[in-house]
Amino acid sequence: MRRLLGWLIIALLGGGVFWLLTLPRGLAPADLAALPAGDAARGEAVFWIGGCASCHAAAKAKGEERLKLGGGQVLKTDFGDFVVPNISNDPADGIGAWTTADLANAMLRGVSPDGRHYYPAFPYASYIRMQPADVADLRAFLATLPAVAGRAPDHDLRFPFGFRRGLGLWKLAFLSDAPAVDLGEQGPAVSRGQYLVEGPGHCGECHTPRNFGGALDTSLWLAGAPAAEGEGRIPNITGGAGGIGDWSAADIVYFFETGFLPDFDSVGGSMVAVQENLAMIAGEDRQAIAAYLKAVPPHDTPRP
Amino acid sequence: MRGLAILLGGLTLTTAAFAADDPIAVRQALMDNNGAAAALAGAVMKDELAYSPVIGKAVIEALSATAHAYGSFFPEGSNDPARTHASPKIWEDPAAFQAALDKYSADAAAARQASGKDGPADKAAFAAAVQPVLGNCKSCHEDFRLQD
Repeated sequence: MRRLLGWLIIALLGGGVFWLLTLPRGLAPADLAALPAGDAARGEAVFWIGGCASCHAAAKAKGEERLKLGGGQVLKTDFGDFVVPNISNDPADGIGAWTTADLANAMLRGVSPDGRHYYPAFPYASYIRMQPADVADLRAFLATLPAVAGRAPDHDLRFPFGFRRGLGLWKLAFLSDAPAVDLGEQGPAVSRGQYLVEGPGHCGECHTPRNFGGALDTSLWLAGAPAAEGEGRIPNITGGAGGIGDWSAADIVYFFETGFLPDFDSVGGSMVAVQENLAMIAGEDRQAIAAYLKAVPPHDTPRP
Repeated sequence: MRGLAILLGGLTLTTAAFAADDPIAVRQALMDNNGAAAALAGAVMKDELAYSPVIGKAVIEALSATAHAYGSFFPEGSNDPARTHASPKIWEDPAAFQAALDKYSADAAAARQASGKDGPADKAAFAAAVQPVLGNCKSCHEDFRLQD
């Protein structure tokens, strides 16, 4: 009886520790209070570098259709099917009723307004590096976009990934706002490029291989990876073998503007939507991204 | 000038050099030809090369010739992954692939119409004529080519 009671206490303590460790935690109240008022015009630039439309608009949306963020695309991965939610301005089906604090908790901590963890298919593991002021600007821009009615269905995930609370442990192990690579001091263009690539641009989410836990392996930062969905590989964009060491910074910028590689092959696959986003950002920001890509440590393309 | 000669040389169709029973080699040569045409257009857009109507005409004719031929080199089974990045969707959804080919052909025909006998008169006219054709590169590669 006494032994049984002992086990019961241990189980309760264990459950309590798990409960505490996996508690979804948003930003600190002081950080939320410090969020500035957003500016919609600046927020449009954040919207394009953040790539919101690539997942939240309809697949292969072009032009104005990229501003209708009704969700519904399905990302088929090894963990199961992630269904992209509606983040349009609809107050019931989208995020029209969200405050700036709600968006900041979602993007910078992966926590929903009702206090649940988001899956890192939503790339908050990159967005965590963003400036809160950029999130505030994005909130203001999203409020100017059309409301789209309709909710997307729930994710359809394999066991045990449907257990959302467990993501608290994933966050403890892997979620960090530290820079992905340490480049030292290389001037304002490289610093700006590092912010854009590692934060809002979330380039590493596809271009970097993942470890056993599904987190990005920063020892092979941007070295290319198997496509998370579908066939093929995402290219190495470092200067190592199989990468883009023979591209000049001007070649990289021209690619972002036009979709043409230096050999005048064209962009394809899921990068088409990304390139069309990058064509919308400021020219200096395209140049900053190019400067950063020329500065990251070179890796040869890893082969399985 | 030598660079221009090499670029223009790249525009010449060389499909006859390939055996007719190797459709992968033929269609890849056609895409290399398009790449060379796009490179010439890009050199003009980037002001690395002074525009002349003969350049505009050569680019548009090359893109148009590929549009006529390209769809004929995707027989069933020509999808050896060791040799081609052609997506299985080409054979799974042939109607969608044909629609992409038709759009490319229509855009190329319109550019050829605008180009006239002598080619577009100036750089702006060339850009207006050729850019819709070049837009087909990525819209088709978005759906029908595998990555890497």
